[in-house]
Amino acid sequence: MNIRLITLLSLLSVTTFFACDDDDQGPSIDVPDTYEFSRNNESSVSFSGQTTRILMGEELIAAMKDFSFTAQQLQDMYANPDGVDPFANADLNASTKSIQSKVAASVDYFSTNTVDAAAIKADFSTWLDAQVNEVFPANQQLATAGTPGQIADGNSVRYVNAQGLEYNQMVNKSLIGALMMDQMLNNYLSTAVLDEASNRTENDNGTTVEAESYTNMEHKWDEAYGYLYGLSANPAEPNLTIGDDDNFLNEYVGRVASDPDFMTIDDAIFEAFKLGRAAIVAGDYKLRDEQAAIIRDQVSKVIAVRGVYYLQQGKKALETTPIAYGGVFHDLSEAYGFIYSLQFSRRGDAQAPYFDNSEVQAFLTDLLGDGTNGLWDVTPATIDAISTAIATAFGFTVAEAAE
Amino acid sequence: MKNLFFLFLLTIATFSCGEDDNAQPSDNFDRQAMLTHWADNIIIPGYVAFTGSTTDLQAAVADFVANPELATLSALRSAWETAYLDWQKVAMYEIGKAEELLLTNNLNIYPVDVAALDANINSGVYNLELPSTNDQQGFPALDYLLYGLDTDELTLVNLYADNESYRLYLQAVANRINTLAQAVLNDWTDRYRGEFVANDGNSATASVDRFVNDYIFFYEKHLRAGKVGIPAGVFSGAPLDNTVEAYYRRNFSKTLLLASLDAVQDFFNGKSFDGSSTGPSLAAYLTELNAEKDGLPLAEVINEQFDQTRVQVALLADDFTEQIAADNTVMLATYDQLQINVINLKVDMLQKLNINVDYVDADGD
Repeated sequence: MNIRLITLLSLLSVTTFFACDDDDQGPSIDVPDTYEFSRNNESSVSFSGQTTRILMGEELIAAMKDFSFTAQQLQDMYANPDGVDPFANADLNASTKSIQSKVAASVDYFSTNTVDAAAIKADFSTWLDAQVNEVFPANQQLATAGTPGQIADGNSVRYVNAQGLEYNQMVNKSLIGALMMDQMLNNYLSTAVLDEASNRTENDNGTTVEAESYTNMEHKWDEAYGYLYGLSANPAEPNLTIGDDDNFLNEYVGRVASDPDFMTIDDAIFEAFKLGRAAIVAGDYKLRDEQAAIIRDQVSKVIAVRGVYYLQQGKKALETTPIAYGGVFHDLSEAYGFIYSLQFSRRGDAQAPYFDNSEVQAFLTDLLGDGTNGLWDVTPATIDAISTAIATAFGFTVAEAAE
Repeated sequence: MKNLFFLFLLTIATFSCGEDDNAQPSDNFDRQAMLTHWADNIIIPGYVAFTGSTTDLQAAVADFVANPELATLSALRSAWETAYLDWQKVAMYEIGKAEELLLTNNLNIYPVDVAALDANINSGVYNLELPSTNDQQGFPALDYLLYGLDTDELTLVNLYADNESYRLYLQAVANRINTLAQAVLNDWTDRYRGEFVANDGNSATASVDRFVNDYIFFYEKHLRAGKVGIPAGVFSGAPLDNTVEAYYRRNFSKTLLLASLDAVQDFFNGKSFDGSSTGPSLAAYLTELNAEKDGLPLAEVINEQFDQTRVQVALLADDFTEQIAADNTVMLATYDQLQINVINLKVDMLQKLNINVDYVDADGD
């Protein structure tokens, strides 16, 4: 490297520093290296409610694969009503929280749309019943077109309904949207929640919630954080184990970040969470909302990339000789859930999903609509059409998501 | 300027043609002759021998069930050993009907699920066509049924003499092995041989590309990992001695491993099933391409490594469970030797043959 180039580079970096300083017109921001914030030497970060709900989800999806469970037991794990102890984990039984109460329950999308909210909550309930009533009784028979049963997928065994769908995958992947993503993007990162009542004044004055070390606004932001990192081995540095900590959003942020085409997405999400939280501490709400917009775009993209990935994996299995139906069904059942989840996505720049409820329903109808037996009849052309529509809306290519 | 632009277009066109040419054989090696040799002199004779053994096995079960006594038990055990050894010679051909039927999953998933198998016998209700019963049938199930139920032969014979449910299950398992084996052989001779040999291009779906992938997959997952790596604890941190092949028979794991290793190396060299001759092979193909690794002919490197591995295997006890308990490092050293040829085959050979790996580790959910 010659002297002139070095000089040029130094000048550039100086310019960059100046640019940074220029941006910081508002309060000065103290951004920590890890997600650790405290007040009076006490951590001000808390998201135990999110951890609880993720754990409830884990027990529910495991129970869906255990033929000894009744439909009522699954419904109880979903709704956690008073007077029953549906979970193996006593802490979950002691909790007054439930999965169902936070499904399709965000302020921005559902506070004035209880029609859709009720229908979505009912979808999960229907799938749970159907798993026990349709699939469990058929677990000792081979699945054929139009008949539920078991089918081999490599060394794994999949249990599918008459259409080739795995209800447990539909519930698992749809919860990522209906519970985790909806609560995160459309509730806790929403200005309607962050700035509710006197949250801003209290936050400006450092007024904490009674008996807690955080302000209301700080806590809301952390609750959004908890839906992604609530089971992280080290919640302050969650990307050390991203992908390994749950079977919901954390897992798939990790998966997408392991694709070279999207390898910085986990950092982008974490850094935005951290900077947004620091902005709240500093009272810089514009910066906070800019970070919320980044999180909304990136988390939504995770769901889209993964949906297209499973569509394309399913297509690949469909095009082998002989057709690997077990693989087709498993991949497309996962895709079904990710597509379902897209109605809870959020554009960074608008109060709207990338695909709304009716558009999502149209995709799902197409996916099952190539013949009378659902996934037994699906064609590569249909899979490609849905893949392309999703990828295009998000600005990536099918090929980028496919491997 | 106009001319320049035209030249530019022409250049693109030329490059495009060059890329398309990659879909055609880029060498003069006669892939069809190799496929023909594989099918007619190695694979089909292998299945003929195997189905002969599975027919004998089914007959030996029928004899034992009709007359449960020490002599028929001994004959049955011997028939099982022969069939299990013959299986090692065809296990790597998971293509065509074998792929469709998931033959390996049905015949040789171990460890056997003893609890589920016992429940099947006790209830008398089971459907061995279900993929969820893969670990309750095949050779490992027979291993348990013939050696694991009781170590005392006379007690074992009496168990069968006194219980129809045991006799029925034994028959069901042996019949299914034979039925599946026959289906695969019949498909090769009736139909698949023609399709296999005719599909002689070098795209990802051509016979050579797919078959070589299946071959390496077998070597990596079933031979290296299944027979040695998993029991030695390579993937789990601690040894899992109940996961050795032929766990209940004892003193047979090494014989099976050697049979498998021989089969893989013989296939690489194009040795005909009867051992009388060699024909076009992966080794010959690499030699034709002058493929080298570290200045040595790649085919020699691979053969040398197979031989090295065999030297290491010779140090193992006949009973792998015993070996793991006594000194697991010998198992680990065997795994390391096997692993070296994974690299030689999967990376070096595939690169030279211009074949892409078509499998990845399963997604896990």
